[in-house]
Amino acid sequence: MAQYPERRWYTGMLSTEDWWAVWIALFFFFLGLLNVFGVDLVGWMTYPTKWVFSPAEGGKGAISHAFYALGKKYSAHAKDFYKGLGWWSVIWSYVIFGIALTIGAAFMKWDVKRYAIGFTIIYFLTIACWFIGHHAFIAATKVNRHKYGLDFSLNMGGGASFIIALIVGLIIGNFFKGAANYLSVAAKPEWYIKTAIVTLGAKLGYLPIKLAGMSQKLGKEAAGLTFDLFVAGAAATIVAYLVFWPGVYTISRKIFKLPRQTAATLASGISICGVSAAVATGAAVRARPVVAIMVSALVVIWAVIELIILPGFFTYVWPGTKDPLVAGASMGMAVKTDGADAAAGELLDEFMRTKIEIETNGAVKWPEGIITASAVMTKVWIDMFIGIWAFLLAVVWVYKFERRPGEKVPASEIWHRFPKFVLGYFFCWFFLLALFFGPGQSGAPEAKAFLKNVKSGMVPVEKGMRKLFFMLTFMSLGIITDFKKLREAQFGKMVWVYFVSLFCFVIPVAILIGYLFHHGMTPPNIAEYVK
Amino acid sequence: MAEEKATERKETLSVSALEAEDVMAGAEEWVGTETWLVVGSLIAAVIALVIGLLVVPTSVLH
Repeated sequence: MAQYPERRWYTGMLSTEDWWAVWIALFFFFLGLLNVFGVDLVGWMTYPTKWVFSPAEGGKGAISHAFYALGKKYSAHAKDFYKGLGWWSVIWSYVIFGIALTIGAAFMKWDVKRYAIGFTIIYFLTIACWFIGHHAFIAATKVNRHKYGLDFSLNMGGGASFIIALIVGLIIGNFFKGAANYLSVAAKPEWYIKTAIVTLGAKLGYLPIKLAGMSQKLGKEAAGLTFDLFVAGAAATIVAYLVFWPGVYTISRKIFKLPRQTAATLASGISICGVSAAVATGAAVRARPVVAIMVSALVVIWAVIELIILPGFFTYVWPGTKDPLVAGASMGMAVKTDGADAAAGELLDEFMRTKIEIETNGAVKWPEGIITASAVMTKVWIDMFIGIWAFLLAVVWVYKFERRPGEKVPASEIWHRFPKFVLGYFFCWFFLLALFFGPGQSGAPEAKAFLKNVKSGMVPVEKGMRKLFFMLTFMSLGIITDFKKLREAQFGKMVWVYFVSLFCFVIPVAILIGYLFHHGMTPPNIAEYVK
Repeated sequence: MAEEKATERKETLSVSALEAEDVMAGAEEWVGTETWLVVGSLIAAVIALVIGLLVVPTSVLH
């Protein structure tokens, strides 16, 4: 029983990234909801806007307005105060998020001083990338570039910032290894992305509230669409996972002749949720620790490669804007770390929305976040399998392959291996849905004041905080990714198993299953309701 | 000192290489339990697919 230490159900609540993602996101979530009582304590969250060096007369894009506090635009109670913050919102966000995250780091017993310094460097590098990525030449589209006095722009929308952050991170991670090593204490892509994913739950719940502000019908349509994604995502993931694991396991065993424990760990890493699944399965089948470490390294590296390739492929090759949610759902099933998947989903969301706007000359606009949600939804469902599958494999290994008389696998292992941030994600989503259908009266005109207050508190969380944490994820992902690992001889065989399994099996199957369950689903068109 | 460090690194690298080689080599015979695990999982996938396609309103069957 040494493999299964004595743990209570609440073990890890104050000492794991999973739980701290929930605590931090929920803290700001409830802080935002104080707006319902007339207090706005989240309007300081910073957000970038497009800028140019020399704005046209009467045009938009002054550098002095490149960052603003979201309360300036959305606050129902303190608009005037937040209006004055401007670039200072960057500092406010740094101080407040820095304190919150450092408290988490202290509870997790990290080196607090090094974390605080590392976070400071990563934060300001991230802000610099966010700023550069919003230069109108890079971010403006054909539809809005004239507002900045430009005749040409790269049409990349907000997606460019993510790519720049990733590139800067990769440069640090691969060319300044001393710095990368120092920053690694604060470069925590899994923690940042898990926090962002909890706030994505708030985004899903907020969508009907936002759209109800445009029209009650749109609000109900959005609530219906997110629920459809929930159901379709669950079905697609169950099928995909039950196909992925045996497929990859068989490829590893039959074609690459790997031993059982290595094949099982690798199959879980490629099929489920990368690092956590590899670690959980490695422990369940008692593979040597080096196997989980190698698989984890490969998962991160290949996820970054997928992140670079897939959003562009899905947007510009297939399925394009005809089936944006097939692309999102497939992404969630194919990209094997939460960080890279949500980030790739965000990139896909930006690319797709920009593309549809250009294709239709602005006649069709999709609300931000639905395509990201489709990518995260399938990923979240896959995450939930980690505990169940690791438990199942532990049982098979103990009772069939290794036959250890008298050993029992405690059912509580399922709970201990369950990704806890998923609870935060669903909590935020369902809490806001309850507000929408309860006191919000499904967007009825009588409840508009109430919904406006909810909106005022939720926009900084689901937009400002979520995007900032996505940016931190991209930067951190780059910093901890070392491409040299791919070239190291001992990874050779595993690199090939991973490559063959991922590109010849997992991705095609993910696309097929994504298509079977999501074909024809499209985000609502909000063009007539927005400028 | 520098030499010492280089030797240390080399040794560490070669040790991990050996370890990695170890976990890649020595594949056991494929046994019936593995067939059962793989086929069972695929059968469950087919059942889940059929039920899913029939039940989920956004599937291609609807």
